[in-house]
Amino acid sequence: MDRRFIQKVRRHDRIATRLITVGGMLVIASVIAILLLIIKVTLPLFMPAKAEGIQTIFAAPGAQSQPLLAAGVDNYQEVGFSLDNQGLFTFYDLKTNAVITTFGASDTLRTVRGLDRHDDTFTLLWQDGGVTLCQVAYTLTYDDNGKRTVVPELNNRKDLPPEALPAAPLRVVARGGGDGGDLTRVTLLADNRFNVTRQTTTRDLFDNETTETVSFLIDEELPGTITAFTLDRQGDVLYAGTDTGSLLRWKLDDGAATRTDNVVAVPNNQAITALALVFGDISAAVGGADGSLTTWMPVAPESNAADDKKLRAIHKLTGHSSPVDAIIPSRRSKSLVSLGRDGHVYFDHMTSENHLLDIDAALATIAISGQGNSLIGIDRRGALRLWNIDNPHPEINLKTLFGKIWYESYPEPDFTWQSSAGSDDFEAKFSLVPLLFGTLKGTLYAMVFALPLAIFGAVYTSQFASPRFKKTVKPVIEIMASVPSVVIGFLIALWLAPLVEKHLLATLLSLVVVPLVFLLFMLPMQPLCETPTIQHRMKGYEFILLVPVIILAGGLCFAAAPWLEDLFFRGDLKQWLYDVPGMRYDQRNCIIIAFGLGIAVIPLIFSITEDAISNIPPSLTAASLALGASRWQTIWRVVLPSASPGIFAAIMIGFGRAVGETMIVLMATGNTPIIDWSIFNGMRTLSANIAVEIPEAPQGGTLYRVLFLCATLLFMLTFILNTGAEIIRERLRKKYGRY
Amino acid sequence: MMKAKFWRQGEPYVWATGMALALVLFLTITLLSVVIANGAAIFWPQPVALAELTDGSRVLGEISQQQKRPQSEEQRYQFKTGNREMYSLDFRWVDASAIKRLSHPARVTVLERLENGNFYGYLREIRAPQLNLPAATGDTALAQALTAIAPQQAEIEQLNDTIAELNYRLEQVQNKLAGLRHQRGADPARLEALAAEERTLKGRFDELATRLADQRSALNQHEAVFIDASGTEKVIALADIVRAYQPNTMGVWQKSGYYLTRLRELFTEDPRESNTEGGLFPAIFGTIMLVFLMSIVSFPIGVVAGVYLREYAKEGVLVKMVRIAVNNLAGIPSIVYGIFGLGFFVYGIGSSIDQLFFAERLPNPTFGTGGILWASLTLGLLTVPVVIVATEEALGAIPPGIREGSQALAATKFQTLTKLLLPMASPGILTGFILAMARAAGEVAPLMITGVVKLAPALPLDGHFPYLHLDRKFMHLGFHIYDIGFQSPNVEASKPMVYVTTLLLILIVLLMTSTAIYLRNKMRKHYAVVDV
Repeated sequence: MDRRFIQKVRRHDRIATRLITVGGMLVIASVIAILLLIIKVTLPLFMPAKAEGIQTIFAAPGAQSQPLLAAGVDNYQEVGFSLDNQGLFTFYDLKTNAVITTFGASDTLRTVRGLDRHDDTFTLLWQDGGVTLCQVAYTLTYDDNGKRTVVPELNNRKDLPPEALPAAPLRVVARGGGDGGDLTRVTLLADNRFNVTRQTTTRDLFDNETTETVSFLIDEELPGTITAFTLDRQGDVLYAGTDTGSLLRWKLDDGAATRTDNVVAVPNNQAITALALVFGDISAAVGGADGSLTTWMPVAPESNAADDKKLRAIHKLTGHSSPVDAIIPSRRSKSLVSLGRDGHVYFDHMTSENHLLDIDAALATIAISGQGNSLIGIDRRGALRLWNIDNPHPEINLKTLFGKIWYESYPEPDFTWQSSAGSDDFEAKFSLVPLLFGTLKGTLYAMVFALPLAIFGAVYTSQFASPRFKKTVKPVIEIMASVPSVVIGFLIALWLAPLVEKHLLATLLSLVVVPLVFLLFMLPMQPLCETPTIQHRMKGYEFILLVPVIILAGGLCFAAAPWLEDLFFRGDLKQWLYDVPGMRYDQRNCIIIAFGLGIAVIPLIFSITEDAISNIPPSLTAASLALGASRWQTIWRVVLPSASPGIFAAIMIGFGRAVGETMIVLMATGNTPIIDWSIFNGMRTLSANIAVEIPEAPQGGTLYRVLFLCATLLFMLTFILNTGAEIIRERLRKKYGRY
Repeated sequence: MMKAKFWRQGEPYVWATGMALALVLFLTITLLSVVIANGAAIFWPQPVALAELTDGSRVLGEISQQQKRPQSEEQRYQFKTGNREMYSLDFRWVDASAIKRLSHPARVTVLERLENGNFYGYLREIRAPQLNLPAATGDTALAQALTAIAPQQAEIEQLNDTIAELNYRLEQVQNKLAGLRHQRGADPARLEALAAEERTLKGRFDELATRLADQRSALNQHEAVFIDASGTEKVIALADIVRAYQPNTMGVWQKSGYYLTRLRELFTEDPRESNTEGGLFPAIFGTIMLVFLMSIVSFPIGVVAGVYLREYAKEGVLVKMVRIAVNNLAGIPSIVYGIFGLGFFVYGIGSSIDQLFFAERLPNPTFGTGGILWASLTLGLLTVPVVIVATEEALGAIPPGIREGSQALAATKFQTLTKLLLPMASPGILTGFILAMARAAGEVAPLMITGVVKLAPALPLDGHFPYLHLDRKFMHLGFHIYDIGFQSPNVEASKPMVYVTTLLLILIVLLMTSTAIYLRNKMRKHYAVVDV
């Protein structure tokens, strides 16, 4: 033969072998790749925060010999500033360390006695008793090439003259005073009292402004000397800490202050050394002389009166080893930066209690940028130090995902999923427990509905049905399997759900009545079955006789339901359910889901079970029958035990399908993430959650990654179920050697 | 004694299993018949009833439902009254006791309109002096008037097309300009030339737009005056009327004709009224296109992998792992594929393509957002296991004697494969293809996050270079169901369309599946003979 031809053929063969092998390998690779990619997106959730080195160090330039009180930085790490003892703001270009500009908070030469800082708003108390409010702001300008320049400004400067006070002022905290006009100023006096001055500006119909100023003293017996105090954003709530560890809270009204709380926040008579309100102004963070760092929030007691909320310790964050000197809340999240006397800076997230960072740089003061991406501090030598913070997902850890978390404004710790809300200071809640629960609940109810139908149906088809009939049933089941899930979802949500709602009692009744009618039907069938000719005729067609039974039973339910409803449930079962056992009926509930998911998984379980049973060698069945066992005894004692691994595999695969089914649950559950076993409620499943939330999840954000985590969980779950099922089936195949 | 035997032998259990099967079949058939019954009848013209109420008012409309009031057992009717802009609601419940007389007046005209749904009422007159209509009376006049404005409508249609074409060219020029500017240091002469072209195109565009507006207002001058049941006049522009018919006088043939017209509309027209009326053409086209693209991806990979597993791989741990992997691929929830498609295709590959080739359009994404390419790749991955399993089974069904015979005649493995095994297995593989396509046509969840939209501005395939626009978003029958059934503001009014779409989707999928089953059975018979 032609050598070249043979060579060519052989070459083709080799190439084909390689190509085909590569193709086969690609399939495994792609499964692994899918898993790895999904996990890769998820991983950053669990990465610790990073303080990206020390970006800039320089001795604060300029000739000032005045000690520095505070520092700050813009969102782009381009401009930083320092504030000195005489109220001079010096702005630096952080790239070149050059001074850009300076602004004085005072026009005359004065010295600062007390300083309060709230984000980038400063309240300076001068030695002469005067007070100045001012705010550092950055505006962005772009040139023609789109290059950005950050221009610092000192805005909203407001000079307040010294007040007539009964004692020397020590520190002033002021809130408001921006555009709104309302201003609350709380002054701590040397004799351990507070002076509160509230200025309200009202505008009448004719646009005339009237300014009203109320001033009063908080003159109460206090459990110790005030060491720290702060106000909320509106200036309505005053928090104070004492040297004995007591945390006090007042509500400020126009004419008086009402003390609402007095709790011991730092034990052992140690002082509260730092106090700040966490972003959102609901929780207060308390730092103690013993280094402890706790957060407190008002919680309604059992009596449930809204005004009666009392402060309770909620989160305990990682403690310092020295007294906490300052707590600076983030302006974006519930994170806190705290500074210990030993110069350590801790970065913690309140809700997750994640200890994100620990920077040891002997700092005297610290500040965080508006977007929380940079930290700037002044160390003991007077140098400014800047850190870049990479901390995209501070709120996530295993506890927030899977544990009970006490969120702000909640009466108790709970599993909560709530990814978004209207307000800016909203905290996203990412508990996966309600979703896992919903997935499990829907799947279980569906399996309860589907398993008996699918497995018994398969048993009948493979063992009892006449061969001719078997040939028609199997395609029908396959056709049922191919009905798209969106169609099932639509039908059960828009057709079945209103129907069930209208005939709720009849639906529930049918669960009992259908089996009952079936049993009754068995009685007359008994003599017929024992007549050989009739039995022979019916063999393989029993189920056709049963269709009228189903219809009869269904009709019976519908006929009896209104009558029974009048008799037992005051004419309206739904109302009765709500009034008496206190159950709420949702139109899209577990009954509907059980139907829908059931219809989706029945064909799958049916086919695999049928396969498993049909693969049992006929010799086994024949032997059993020959020994005199009846056809049911043969099935029950011989066939089912042998096929049980296969049936188990079918259940696992069906379970996997139900767990991952998306469209049906998306359309027919109502998608409320609640934990409630009631059959009359809906739920939200992992898969529907992905479909609902992903359009609103920005790429790379926490929600996006949490949704990938949901996908990972789904993947793992189905992976375990399917692999298990596959191994079992493989064994079964070997045992009976049919392949 | 006899009694006990029946129970002891477990005969009732046999019946119980029969019951389970009967229930399963009963459920399947009920569901299918609900869809068919609701979907198939929707285009059949329903009689329009006029109810004179005891309080003197009149209600005109199709009776869409009747039921008993929950408490009082009293019969009540739901009328589809249409005339949305006049009554603000399409449907109205009327108690049977409130109706004095129910009749079916012959002259009632039903108008299908471009906006505001159906109109039910009577024709009073036609105000279209420019049309020079022959002096016909009544309803023939309406038909004549509608025919008379057809040329004008066609002209507008043509103008619209021209404008769309112009718009496309303008966009191209603008893209080119943006690209050149993005490069910096581009030839200023070319830039100038392009800018000039842009100006001319814009000028022409404006001119045509004015002409279109003129034509439109001229067309809208032709009006017809109708009155509703209570005698309120309503002036409707002829151009707004899609179709007018008088259901109460139509015979069966006329009704069938109407039915066919509606069917044709369903398959060829664009949807109207936020998808609740009109046709499904873009959705059908999108579905077919998607399945087609998916097939290109999934079939070759699936067949190669299946051949490898059955013919090339040596049985061992590796093959076992691949089998498990394949079965796992088949079992992964489709939403997980969807999110993988989003993370890998859209944000991964798509964003890279954008940065490399479409940088001038950033931050507007071209491939870095959902589109038909990514959706079909995702579906391709999802359906690969179906093809693999089918290929494997088809090859496995071929008796080993064939392979041995071929090799005994000195054919290489590859020759055996291409000349003997694949042709013999082709019906089985084809079955797999069809099943994969059926699965792809019905799958919605992964599409929702990889590029399906409720209303796509353009088809993914059109007359402009490069003809196939893989980056475009698309419409899909399955998503259409979800969208109009669950996201539409007027659920009751959109129900007919949902049922029709559902019926269509089910028919497509069932047709594919039954073909597959038929093919497979045929193949089994074929090899049963070979086996002997």
